[in-house]
Amino acid sequence: MTVAESPNLMVAGIGEMVLSANPDDRLVAYGLGSCIALAIWDTRAKVGGLAHFMLPAGPSSGASPVKFIDTGLDPFLRAVEAKGAMLSRCTIKAAGAAAMLTVGGGLAIGKRNSEAMQAALAERGLALNASALGGNAGRTVQLEVGDGRFLIKSLSSVTQL
Amino acid sequence: MTMTLSEAGQTVVAGTFGRAMKRAGEALGSMSGQIIEVQTPMLQRCTAQDVMVMAGGPESVVLAVYVGITGSMQGHALLLFAPADAHRLAQILLAGLLGPGELPMESTSDELAYDELELSALQEAGNVTISAFLNELGMHLHEPVQPTPPQVVLEMAGAVLDAVLLDLVSEQDQVLAAKTTFSEGGRAIDGTLFVLPRPDSLRVLLDALGAIGI
Repeated sequence: MTVAESPNLMVAGIGEMVLSANPDDRLVAYGLGSCIALAIWDTRAKVGGLAHFMLPAGPSSGASPVKFIDTGLDPFLRAVEAKGAMLSRCTIKAAGAAAMLTVGGGLAIGKRNSEAMQAALAERGLALNASALGGNAGRTVQLEVGDGRFLIKSLSSVTQL
Repeated sequence: MTMTLSEAGQTVVAGTFGRAMKRAGEALGSMSGQIIEVQTPMLQRCTAQDVMVMAGGPESVVLAVYVGITGSMQGHALLLFAPADAHRLAQILLAGLLGPGELPMESTSDELAYDELELSALQEAGNVTISAFLNELGMHLHEPVQPTPPQVVLEMAGAVLDAVLLDLVSEQDQVLAAKTTFSEGGRAIDGTLFVLPRPDSLRVLLDALGAIGI
Protein backbone atom coordinates (compact mmCIF):
# COMPACT_ATOMS: atom_id res chain seq x y z
CA MET A 1 0.00 0.00 0.00
CA THR A 2 2.99 2.25 0.32
CA VAL A 3 3.37 4.56 -2.61
CA ALA A 4 6.61 3.58 -4.30
CA GLU A 5 9.43 6.02 -3.79
CA SER A 6 10.68 7.66 -6.94
CA PRO A 7 12.41 10.85 -7.97
CA ASN A 8 9.10 11.95 -9.50
CA LEU A 9 7.21 11.82 -6.23
CA MET A 10 6.30 15.27 -4.91
CA VAL A 11 4.81 15.33 -1.43
CA ALA A 12 2.36 17.92 -0.12
CA GLY A 13 2.93 17.93 3.63
CA ILE A 14 0.23 19.18 5.96
CA GLY A 15 -0.57 22.80 4.97
CA GLU A 16 1.51 22.58 1.79
CA MET A 17 0.87 22.40 -1.96
CA VAL A 18 2.81 20.87 -4.83
CA LEU A 19 2.51 21.67 -8.55
CA SER A 20 3.86 20.10 -11.68
CA ALA A 21 3.78 20.25 -15.45
CA ASN A 22 5.97 17.14 -15.79
CA PRO A 23 3.87 14.14 -16.95
CA ASP A 24 6.13 11.75 -15.06
CA ASP A 25 5.43 13.38 -11.71
CA ARG A 26 3.10 12.05 -9.05
CA LEU A 27 1.76 14.42 -6.42
CA VAL A 28 1.07 12.80 -3.06
CA ALA A 29 -0.47 13.72 0.30
CA TYR A 30 0.05 11.07 2.97
CA GLY A 31 -2.16 10.09 5.87
CA LEU A 32 -5.11 12.45 5.56
CA GLY A 33 -7.53 12.26 8.47
CA SER A 34 -9.65 15.37 8.98
CA CYS A 35 -7.49 17.32 6.55
CA ILE A 36 -8.71 17.70 2.97
CA ALA A 37 -6.67 17.30 -0.19
CA LEU A 38 -7.72 19.18 -3.35
CA ALA A 39 -6.40 17.98 -6.70
CA ILE A 40 -6.70 20.13 -9.82
CA TRP A 41 -5.65 18.83 -13.24
CA ASP A 42 -5.85 20.45 -16.66
CA THR A 43 -7.09 17.83 -19.12
CA ARG A 44 -5.41 19.49 -22.12
CA ALA A 45 -2.24 21.07 -20.74
CA LYS A 46 -1.69 18.09 -18.44
CA VAL A 47 -0.50 20.14 -15.51
CA GLY A 48 -1.73 19.65 -12.00
CA GLY A 49 -1.62 20.71 -8.40
CA LEU A 50 -2.35 19.06 -5.07
CA ALA A 51 -3.01 21.04 -1.87
CA HIS A 52 -3.21 19.60 1.66
CA PHE A 53 -5.60 21.94 3.49
CA MET A 54 -5.95 21.84 7.27
CA LEU A 55 -8.83 24.05 8.45
CA PRO A 56 -11.82 25.98 7.08
CA ALA A 57 -10.89 29.56 7.92
CA GLY A 58 -8.10 31.70 9.29
CA PRO A 59 -5.45 34.25 8.38
CA SER A 60 -3.00 33.43 5.61
CA SER A 61 0.13 31.80 6.89
CA GLY A 62 3.50 32.26 5.25
CA ALA A 63 4.87 28.93 6.37
CA SER A 64 1.76 26.99 5.35
CA PRO A 65 0.19 28.70 2.31
CA VAL A 66 -2.79 26.34 2.16
CA LYS A 67 -3.34 25.91 5.88
CA PHE A 68 -6.81 27.50 5.62
CA ILE A 69 -9.37 26.94 2.87
CA ASP A 70 -10.71 30.50 2.81
CA THR A 71 -7.33 32.22 2.49
CA GLY A 72 -5.44 29.38 0.80
CA LEU A 73 -7.73 28.41 -2.06
CA ASP A 74 -7.09 31.47 -4.24
CA PRO A 75 -3.29 31.27 -3.92
CA PHE A 76 -3.53 27.58 -4.86
CA LEU A 77 -5.74 28.28 -7.89
CA ARG A 78 -3.39 31.07 -9.05
CA ALA A 79 -0.37 28.78 -8.60
CA VAL A 80 -1.97 26.06 -10.76
CA GLU A 81 -2.78 28.67 -13.42
CA ALA A 82 0.78 29.94 -13.27
CA LYS A 83 1.90 26.42 -14.21
CA GLY A 84 -0.13 26.74 -17.40
CA ALA A 85 -3.55 25.42 -16.40
CA MET A 86 -6.88 26.99 -17.38
CA LEU A 87 -9.45 26.38 -14.69
CA SER A 88 -12.24 25.93 -17.25
CA ARG A 89 -10.43 22.83 -18.58
CA CYS A 90 -9.61 21.38 -15.18
CA THR A 91 -11.03 18.47 -13.25
CA ILE A 92 -11.29 19.16 -9.54
CA LYS A 93 -11.29 16.30 -7.04
CA ALA A 94 -11.09 16.13 -3.27
CA ALA A 95 -10.52 13.52 -0.59
CA GLY A 96 -10.18 13.44 3.19
CA ALA A 97 -12.31 15.25 5.78
CA ALA A 98 -12.84 12.08 7.80
CA ALA A 99 -13.84 11.87 11.44
CA MET A 100 -11.06 9.82 12.99
CA LEU A 101 -11.92 10.27 16.65
CA THR A 102 -15.36 10.05 18.16
CA VAL A 103 -14.50 10.83 21.76
CA GLY A 104 -14.20 14.33 23.10
CA GLY A 105 -16.99 15.60 20.87
CA GLY A 106 -15.13 18.65 19.72
CA LEU A 107 -13.12 17.23 16.86
CA ALA A 108 -15.68 17.30 14.04
CA ILE A 109 -13.30 19.31 11.91
CA GLY A 110 -13.54 16.97 8.92
CA LYS A 111 -17.19 17.77 8.31
CA ARG A 112 -16.54 21.50 8.55
CA ASN A 113 -13.63 21.16 6.14
CA SER A 114 -15.80 19.33 3.64
CA GLU A 115 -18.53 21.97 3.78
CA ALA A 116 -16.06 24.85 3.64
CA MET A 117 -14.30 23.42 0.59
CA GLN A 118 -17.50 22.92 -1.39
CA ALA A 119 -18.75 26.40 -0.44
CA ALA A 120 -15.43 28.05 -1.33
CA LEU A 121 -15.37 26.36 -4.73
CA ALA A 122 -19.00 27.33 -5.42
CA GLU A 123 -18.22 30.98 -4.60
CA ARG A 124 -15.66 30.89 -7.40
CA GLY A 125 -17.99 29.19 -9.87
CA LEU A 126 -16.22 25.85 -9.45
CA ALA A 127 -17.41 22.44 -8.30
CA LEU A 128 -15.96 19.05 -7.48
CA ASN A 129 -16.01 16.52 -10.33
CA ALA A 130 -15.44 13.67 -7.91
CA SER A 131 -14.74 13.26 -4.23
CA ALA A 132 -14.13 10.83 -1.40
CA LEU A 133 -14.98 12.84 1.69
CA GLY A 134 -16.07 11.93 5.20
CA GLY A 135 -16.21 8.50 6.76
CA ASN A 136 -13.78 7.41 9.44
CA ALA A 137 -10.81 6.04 7.51
CA GLY A 138 -7.48 7.72 6.86
CA ARG A 139 -6.46 8.23 3.25
CA THR A 140 -3.32 8.73 1.20
CA VAL A 141 -3.98 10.38 -2.16
CA GLN A 142 -1.96 10.57 -5.36
CA LEU A 143 -2.48 12.67 -8.48
CA GLU A 144 -0.74 11.36 -11.61
CA VAL A 145 0.25 14.43 -13.61
CA GLY A 146 0.53 12.54 -16.90
CA ASP A 147 -3.04 11.27 -17.07
CA GLY A 148 -4.92 12.94 -14.20
CA ARG A 149 -5.66 9.71 -12.34
CA PHE A 150 -6.48 10.40 -8.70
CA LEU A 151 -5.78 7.38 -6.47
CA ILE A 152 -7.07 7.08 -2.94
CA LYS A 153 -5.55 4.52 -0.62
CA SER A 154 -6.80 3.51 2.78
CA LEU A 155 -5.62 0.61 4.94
CA SER A 156 -8.26 -1.62 3.39
CA SER A 157 -8.64 -0.44 -0.21
CA VAL A 158 -7.32 1.46 -3.20
CA THR A 159 -9.80 3.35 -5.34
CA GLN A 160 -9.48 5.64 -8.32
CA LEU A 161 -11.50 8.76 -8.99
CA MET B 1 -5.38 33.06 22.59
CA THR B 2 -1.75 32.30 22.02
CA MET B 3 0.99 31.86 24.51
CA THR B 4 4.69 31.47 24.06
CA LEU B 5 6.54 29.78 26.85
CA SER B 6 9.82 31.26 27.97
CA GLU B 7 12.78 28.93 28.02
CA ALA B 8 12.57 28.77 31.82
CA GLY B 9 8.84 28.08 31.68
CA GLN B 10 9.43 25.32 29.19
CA THR B 11 12.03 23.77 31.50
CA VAL B 12 9.50 23.75 34.34
CA VAL B 13 6.84 22.12 32.14
CA ALA B 14 9.39 19.62 30.82
CA GLY B 15 10.32 18.57 34.36
CA THR B 16 6.71 18.06 35.37
CA PHE B 17 5.80 16.25 32.16
CA GLY B 18 8.91 14.10 32.54
CA ARG B 19 7.89 12.90 36.00
CA ALA B 20 4.35 12.26 34.78
CA MET B 21 5.62 10.25 31.80
CA LYS B 22 7.77 8.13 34.12
CA ARG B 23 4.62 7.38 36.14
CA ALA B 24 2.85 6.45 32.92
CA GLY B 25 5.62 4.00 32.03
CA GLU B 26 5.50 2.48 35.52
CA ALA B 27 1.75 2.02 35.18
CA LEU B 28 2.17 0.26 31.84
CA GLY B 29 4.89 -1.93 33.36
CA SER B 30 2.76 -2.78 36.35
CA MET B 31 -0.23 -3.65 34.18
CA SER B 32 1.75 -5.86 31.84
CA GLY B 33 3.97 -7.37 34.52
CA GLN B 34 7.01 -6.37 32.48
CA ILE B 35 9.89 -4.06 33.20
CA ILE B 36 9.36 -1.03 31.06
CA GLU B 37 12.16 1.39 30.34
CA VAL B 38 11.07 4.97 29.91
CA GLN B 39 13.21 7.03 27.58
CA THR B 40 14.03 10.53 28.77
CA PRO B 41 11.01 12.52 27.64
CA MET B 42 11.46 15.30 25.14
CA LEU B 43 9.38 18.45 25.05
CA GLN B 44 9.59 20.76 22.10
CA ARG B 45 7.75 23.39 20.18
CA CYS B 46 7.20 22.15 16.69
CA THR B 47 5.01 22.35 13.63
CA ALA B 48 2.28 19.88 12.71
CA GLN B 49 4.65 18.44 10.11
CA ASP B 50 7.31 17.91 12.80
CA VAL B 51 4.83 15.96 14.93
CA MET B 52 4.09 13.69 11.96
CA VAL B 53 7.80 12.99 11.61
CA MET B 54 8.14 12.32 15.36
CA ALA B 55 5.39 9.70 15.01
CA GLY B 56 7.30 7.88 12.26
CA GLY B 57 5.83 9.67 9.24
CA PRO B 58 2.22 10.28 8.28
CA GLU B 59 1.75 7.02 6.38
CA SER B 60 3.22 4.67 8.96
CA VAL B 61 0.48 2.45 10.37
CA VAL B 62 -0.02 2.66 14.11
CA LEU B 63 -2.27 1.21 16.74
CA ALA B 64 -3.23 4.35 18.64
CA VAL B 65 -5.07 4.83 21.89
CA TYR B 66 -6.44 8.35 22.10
CA VAL B 67 -7.50 10.04 25.33
CA GLY B 68 -8.70 13.62 25.43
CA ILE B 69 -7.61 15.73 28.39
CA THR B 70 -10.31 17.84 29.98
CA GLY B 71 -10.69 19.80 33.19
CA SER B 72 -8.29 22.46 34.39
CA MET B 73 -5.74 21.46 31.77
CA GLN B 74 -6.88 20.55 28.29
CA GLY B 75 -5.32 18.82 25.36
CA HIS B 76 -4.76 15.44 23.81
CA ALA B 77 -2.81 12.30 24.66
CA LEU B 78 -1.97 9.40 22.36
CA LEU B 79 -0.19 6.14 23.02
CA LEU B 80 1.12 4.73 19.72
CA PHE B 81 2.46 1.27 18.90
CA ALA B 82 3.66 -0.31 15.68
CA PRO B 83 1.10 -3.02 14.78
CA ALA B 84 3.42 -5.95 15.53
CA ASP B 85 4.39 -4.46 18.91
CA ALA B 86 0.73 -3.91 19.76
CA HIS B 87 0.05 -7.59 19.07
CA ARG B 88 2.85 -8.64 21.40
CA LEU B 89 1.64 -6.32 24.15
CA ALA B 90 -1.94 -7.56 23.75
CA GLN B 91 -0.76 -11.16 24.07
CA ILE B 92 1.14 -10.35 27.27
CA LEU B 93 -1.83 -8.51 28.76
CA LEU B 94 -4.31 -11.25 27.86
CA ALA B 95 -2.03 -14.00 29.14
CA GLY B 96 -2.33 -12.41 32.56
CA LEU B 97 -6.12 -12.29 32.38
CA LEU B 98 -7.06 -15.57 30.75
CA GLY B 99 -6.19 -19.19 31.34
CA PRO B 100 -3.89 -20.81 28.76
CA GLY B 101 -6.76 -22.59 27.01
CA GLU B 102 -8.63 -19.33 26.63
CA LEU B 103 -5.80 -17.41 25.05
CA PRO B 104 -6.60 -16.11 21.59
CA MET B 105 -4.67 -17.74 18.79
CA GLU B 106 -1.10 -16.53 18.57
CA SER B 107 -0.93 -13.59 16.19
CA THR B 108 -1.91 -14.36 12.66
CA SER B 109 0.28 -13.44 9.74
CA ASP B 110 -1.88 -10.38 9.22
CA GLU B 111 -0.56 -7.89 11.70
CA LEU B 112 -3.40 -5.50 10.94
CA ALA B 113 -6.04 -7.96 12.16
CA TYR B 114 -7.01 -7.62 15.81
CA ASP B 115 -9.78 -9.37 17.65
CA GLU B 116 -12.08 -7.63 20.10
CA LEU B 117 -10.19 -8.95 23.14
CA GLU B 118 -6.88 -7.61 21.88
CA LEU B 119 -8.34 -4.20 21.09
CA SER B 120 -10.00 -4.06 24.47
CA ALA B 121 -6.76 -4.95 26.24
CA LEU B 122 -4.80 -2.34 24.29
CA GLN B 123 -7.45 0.29 24.93
CA GLU B 124 -7.18 -0.40 28.64
CA ALA B 125 -3.39 -0.25 28.47
CA GLY B 126 -3.65 3.20 26.90
CA ASN B 127 -6.21 4.26 29.46
CA VAL B 128 -4.11 3.16 32.42
CA THR B 129 -0.92 4.67 31.01
CA ILE B 130 -2.41 8.04 30.16
CA SER B 131 -4.43 8.20 33.38
CA ALA B 132 -1.21 7.68 35.35
CA PHE B 133 0.29 10.61 33.48
CA LEU B 134 -2.72 12.78 34.26
CA ASN B 135 -2.85 11.75 37.92
CA GLU B 136 0.74 12.84 38.38
CA LEU B 137 0.05 16.11 36.59
CA GLY B 138 -3.11 16.63 38.61
CA MET B 139 -1.12 16.57 41.83
CA HIS B 140 0.39 19.89 40.79
CA LEU B 141 -2.86 21.52 39.75
CA HIS B 142 -5.49 23.09 41.94
CA GLU B 143 -8.32 21.62 39.90
CA PRO B 144 -8.64 18.06 38.65
CA VAL B 145 -7.66 16.89 35.18
CA GLN B 146 -9.95 14.30 33.64
CA PRO B 147 -9.43 11.89 30.79
CA THR B 148 -12.14 11.21 28.23
CA PRO B 149 -12.96 7.55 27.61
CA PRO B 150 -10.18 5.99 25.54
CA GLN B 151 -10.57 5.23 21.86
CA VAL B 152 -8.43 2.71 20.05
CA VAL B 153 -7.74 3.24 16.34
CA LEU B 154 -5.67 1.31 13.82
CA GLU B 155 -4.71 3.83 11.18
CA MET B 156 -2.06 5.81 9.38
CA ALA B 157 -0.32 7.99 11.97
CA GLY B 158 -1.02 11.14 9.97
CA ALA B 159 -4.74 10.47 9.93
CA VAL B 160 -4.89 9.92 13.69
CA LEU B 161 -2.75 12.93 14.49
CA ASP B 162 -4.20 15.46 12.11
CA ALA B 163 -7.57 15.82 13.83
CA VAL B 164 -5.76 16.42 17.10
CA LEU B 165 -3.30 18.85 15.56
CA LEU B 166 -6.03 20.80 13.78
CA ASP B 167 -7.64 21.38 17.15
CA LEU B 168 -4.43 23.04 18.33
CA VAL B 169 -3.07 24.99 15.38
CA SER B 170 -5.99 27.19 14.38
CA GLU B 171 -4.43 30.26 15.98
CA GLN B 172 -0.75 29.48 15.81
CA ASP B 173 1.55 27.41 13.68
CA GLN B 174 3.38 25.57 16.43
CA VAL B 175 2.35 23.15 19.11
CA LEU B 176 4.08 22.02 22.28
CA ALA B 177 4.63 18.28 21.97
CA ALA B 178 5.86 15.99 24.72
CA LYS B 179 7.03 12.55 23.67
CA THR B 180 8.63 9.56 25.28
CA THR B 181 9.24 5.97 24.26
CA PHE B 182 8.50 2.95 26.45
CA SER B 183 10.55 -0.16 25.78
CA GLU B 184 10.13 -3.68 27.06
CA GLY B 185 13.48 -5.15 26.15
CA GLY B 186 12.76 -8.88 26.15
CA ARG B 187 9.97 -8.83 23.63
CA ALA B 188 10.90 -5.60 21.91
CA ILE B 189 7.72 -3.69 22.49
CA ASP B 190 8.11 0.02 21.89
CA GLY B 191 5.31 2.44 22.57
CA THR B 192 5.32 6.19 22.09
CA LEU B 193 3.36 8.51 24.32
CA PHE B 194 2.47 11.92 22.91
CA VAL B 195 0.94 14.65 25.02
CA LEU B 196 -0.21 17.80 23.24
CA PRO B 197 -1.59 20.41 25.64
CA ARG B 198 -3.76 23.30 24.51
CA PRO B 199 -1.59 26.42 24.68
CA ASP B 200 -3.86 28.34 27.04
CA SER B 201 -3.82 25.38 29.41
CA LEU B 202 -0.11 25.79 29.96
CA ARG B 203 -0.79 29.02 31.78
CA VAL B 204 -2.85 27.07 34.32
CA LEU B 205 -0.02 24.60 34.81
CA LEU B 206 2.65 27.25 35.15
CA ASP B 207 0.48 29.19 37.56
CA ALA B 208 -0.06 26.11 39.69
CA LEU B 209 3.67 25.40 39.68
CA GLY B 210 4.33 28.94 40.85
CA ALA B 211 6.22 29.71 37.67
CA ILE B 212 3.84 32.00 35.83
CA GLY B 213 6.22 34.96 35.85
CA ILE B 214 9.20 33.19 34.38
